[in-house]
Amino acid sequence: MKQLKYDVVVIGGGPAGMAAALKAKEKGATVAIIERNDELGGILNQCIHSGFGLSYFKQELTGPEYAELFINQVAAAGIDVYLKTMVIDLTPEREVKAMNEDGMLVLAAGAIVLAMGCRERTRGAIKIPGSRPAGVLTAGLAQRYVNIENRKPGERIVILGSGDIGLIMARRLTLEGMQVLGVYELMPYANGLYRNIKNCLDDFDIPLHLSTTVTNIIGHPHLEAIEVARVDENLAVIEATREVIACDTLLLSIGLIPENELSQKSGISLNPRTNGPLVNEDLATDQPGIFACGNVLHVHDLVDNVTLEAEQAGDAAAAYALEQKAVATVSETRPAENKATITIGPGENVGYTVPAKMTVPSPKEIRILFRVRRPLEQAAVVIQAGTKILYQGKPRAFKPSVMEAVVIKPEEINGLNGTEQTITVSVREVK
Amino acid sequence: MNHYDIIIIGGGITGTAIARECSKYQLTVALLERGTDIGIGATKGNGGVVHPGYDPTPGSLKAKINVRGANLYPQLARDLNFGMINPGIFVIGFSDADEAVLKRKLECGIKNGVKDLAIIDAKQMRNREPHLATDARHALYAPTATVVDPFEVAIAFAENAKANGVEILTSQPVTAIEKRVDGNFLLNTPEQQFSCSYIVNAAGNHADEVARLAGIAEYQMKPRHGDLLVLDKDMVNKPQTVMFPCPGPDTKGIACIPTVHGNTIVGSTATMMDDKEAVDNYAPGIQALIDGVHKILPELDAGKIIRTFAGLRPVVLDNNNDFYIAESQTVKGFIHAAGIQSPGVASAPAIAEQVRDLLDNAGLEMKPKLDYNPYREKKTVIADLSINKQDELIHHNPAYGRIVCRCETVTEGEIIAAIHGAIPAHTLDAVKRRTRAGMGRCQSGFCQYKVIAILSRELGLPVSDICLEDRGSRLLCGLVKGGAK
Repeated sequence: MKQLKYDVVVIGGGPAGMAAALKAKEKGATVAIIERNDELGGILNQCIHSGFGLSYFKQELTGPEYAELFINQVAAAGIDVYLKTMVIDLTPEREVKAMNEDGMLVLAAGAIVLAMGCRERTRGAIKIPGSRPAGVLTAGLAQRYVNIENRKPGERIVILGSGDIGLIMARRLTLEGMQVLGVYELMPYANGLYRNIKNCLDDFDIPLHLSTTVTNIIGHPHLEAIEVARVDENLAVIEATREVIACDTLLLSIGLIPENELSQKSGISLNPRTNGPLVNEDLATDQPGIFACGNVLHVHDLVDNVTLEAEQAGDAAAAYALEQKAVATVSETRPAENKATITIGPGENVGYTVPAKMTVPSPKEIRILFRVRRPLEQAAVVIQAGTKILYQGKPRAFKPSVMEAVVIKPEEINGLNGTEQTITVSVREVK
Repeated sequence: MNHYDIIIIGGGITGTAIARECSKYQLTVALLERGTDIGIGATKGNGGVVHPGYDPTPGSLKAKINVRGANLYPQLARDLNFGMINPGIFVIGFSDADEAVLKRKLECGIKNGVKDLAIIDAKQMRNREPHLATDARHALYAPTATVVDPFEVAIAFAENAKANGVEILTSQPVTAIEKRVDGNFLLNTPEQQFSCSYIVNAAGNHADEVARLAGIAEYQMKPRHGDLLVLDKDMVNKPQTVMFPCPGPDTKGIACIPTVHGNTIVGSTATMMDDKEAVDNYAPGIQALIDGVHKILPELDAGKIIRTFAGLRPVVLDNNNDFYIAESQTVKGFIHAAGIQSPGVASAPAIAEQVRDLLDNAGLEMKPKLDYNPYREKKTVIADLSINKQDELIHHNPAYGRIVCRCETVTEGEIIAAIHGAIPAHTLDAVKRRTRAGMGRCQSGFCQYKVIAILSRELGLPVSDICLEDRGSRLLCGLVKGGAK
C-alpha cells in the first residue's frame, strides 16, 4: 500500500480537474490528479464535434483538442497524474483512498478539489413503462460507442430529450448513416443550446417534437417500437395523441446529475437544487479544505465556463493548503476576523445559484452563476437583500439551456449584516 | 444419449433448490433451463423477502413448506455464502378493522409455528422506523424475517449442485416429452435428446405447458403480474424494516423492502394476466407503487428511483392459491413442483425436501452420497474487503485493481471470475446479477461498453454478439462507416 502526501489532491482529470490542478500548481502547491479512466480529458475525449473554446481560447476547437491543450500543460507543469485510478473513499480529514492495478493508495491532502463530473439520468429515473429490452441507452453511452468504440447502437433511432448530448448525437448518427426519426421533448421548449438545435437538427431536417414524450417501450428481447404522445400544459398525456413508432434504438438525453456519492463520504452538505455541494464564493464546501468545481458542482452549458470555475477552485484550494501548512509551521492561530456568512438563493424564475453562500465583508467582487427555470422573452436580473434591491440588470431574453452569470460588487454587499440577510437572485419579466 | 435418474425442468430458485437436494444422493441428475441463465424467470422478478409464514392458512401445504423453508435459510446462507439480512417485517395497521386482521394473522402465524411474532404499538414501531406515517397505529412484527437476492440464491444452489455432480444446462427449452414403454422418459430440446427415469417439473409459469408435453392436463396456470421499483442506496431515511400495509383479501399489499446491498425495493402490485411473457412495467402499476409506499413512508423520495422491473408469479388456477407439489395422477415418475407463487423464495428449500420425499415414495432409491459437499466458497467482493486485503489481492491479480463499475465498485477481476464461474455468465445481465456491475445508479451508462469488451475478450465472441440477456438481445450492431476493425 502506497502512502502519499500532497498539498492539493484533485479528484477527476476532466476539464475541471485539469484546470484546477494547473492553477493550484501555479500557486506553488504540490498537486496530484486522480483519474479513473485511461487518459486525462474526461468526457471531452468523446465529444469530437467542434464548438469548444470559443470564449476561453477565442478559437473553435473539438473536445479532444480542447482537452489536449490542458493535457500538455499538465504534463509540463510537474503535476503527478494517477490514471486508471479510482477513488473509493474520502474522509473529512482529507484522506483519499484509491485503487489501481498496482495496489491501494492512501493520499493525505492539504486540500481537495472535487471534479468528478456528472452522470446521465436513466430510464428508471423517469419511469418509462413497457418492456426492458436491449436498444435503450443514454445519449452519452451512444456517443462513446460511435466515437470511441466505433460501433453502431442500431439503425433506426429515436431520441427522447432535447439536451445537448442528444442533439449532438442526432447529427452524429445521421452523419454515420443511421436514420434519426425525431427528437421528442416533454417540455414546450428545447433543453439544449439554440446553436445545437440549429446546427444538429434543423440543418439535417430532423424533427423536434415539443410537448411530446415516450409513453411506452415495446419489444422483447430487442426494442421494436416506442409509443409517443403529446402532453398538455400540466405535462399530462393527451390520450388521443398516442402513436407507435417503429425503431430499434431509443437514446435518452434527459438530463445530467452531478456525481456526489463520493463527496458525501467526506460529510459535505449538498444543495438540493443542484445536487452538487453547497459552496461559498471560493467554491469551498462546508468541510474545511474541500472544494468543488465543474459538473460535480452544477451542470454547465459550456466547458469554457467549467475551466474558469475550476481555476477559481484550484486557486482557493492551493491558498488553503499553503496557509494551513504555514500556520502549522509557525504554530500560531489567525486572529478572529469580524466576518459573517450570508446565504444566496434563487428568487423568481431562477432554479439555483452557485455559490449558495458568501462571506461579508468581501474584498472582491463575487460572480454568481444561475439558470432560469423557463424561457423568458424579456426579463431582467434583480438581486435583492430582503426588499432592498442591490442590483438590477438590463432587460433581455433568458433560456434555461444557458448558464447565466451576474457580478456583484463589494460596495453592493458589504453593508449587509450576515446574521439576518439573505440575497436572492431573480429574473423578473419586463412588460 | 445420456440417461439420468432425474431431469429437473426449470432453473429458477425452485428447480435449483431441488437440484441441490437431489445432489445429496447417489443419483445422476440434470437440470434443463430454457433461458440463457439460471434464475431469470419468476425468480428475478421478485422482492426477495423470505416470508416467515404467518400468511398461509394453517394446515395447508403452503403453511408447512413456507415455515420450514424460511427456517432453513440462515444455515443455507452460511453454507452457500449468499447475502442475507434480517430486517424483520412490520405488517402495519391503520384502523381498528386492521387490528383485527393483524390479530388473526398473529394467531395464524403461531399455529403455523412462526417464532417471536408480536403485535406492537405505534411507539415501538417508530423507535425502529421514525419516518413512518403518523396514522400507523399498530403492527404485526415478525423479527425473524430475512431478505435475500433470489437470483443469487438460485445461482448458489445451482453452483453447489454442480459441484456435487448435477449437470446444469442453460438454453435448453424442452420441446417434447415421451413416456416410453420401459417407463423411462425421452425429452427433446432443439439441439439435444435426453433420457431419464424421473422428471421434476419446476418450469415456473410454464409448468402447465411442460406437463401437457407429457400428456398431463391436471391444472392450468396464469401469471399474477407485479411491478417493482428499485431506489438508490444513497436515499435518506431508508427503511430498516420490511413494511407491508395490512393486507387486502388477494395480496400482501405494497411494501418497502431493504435489500441485501443497501437499496430499497418497493413492490409489488398484483394483477392476474393472460400473457405469460408480459413482464412489462405498466404506468398505473408504477403509480400505485409510489402511492402505496407513501402510505407507509410519506417522505420517501420517489426521485431516488433508479430502476423499474416486473415479475410474474406462477399461479395454478382453482388450487386455493396453494402450491401444486405432487406426483402426477396419470403419469408415474412425473413430479410437479408447480404454482410456486408467493412465498416461493422462502419455500424453495422445503419444496426441495418435499420433492425428495415424493421421489422416494415413487420408488427412486435415495442413497446418501458420502462425499457430498454442502459448502460453496465465498466469492471475492472487492468492496467488502479491508484495504490491506484489497492491496494483497491486487498484487496477486492486478485485474482486481481495475474498477469497471464505479457505482457499485466492481472490478475487472470480479467480472472475469463471473464469466468463468461454475455457472458461467455469458450476458450483460448475467454479469450484473453475479457482480452488481450495472446494478447501480447509472444503470450501466458508464460501464456497459467495458463489460461488453470483457465478455467479448473472455468468450472469444465478436462484440456485436454480446447480448443483454435473451437470445436476440444484442446490444450493438455493426461498425460505423469507414471505421477500422
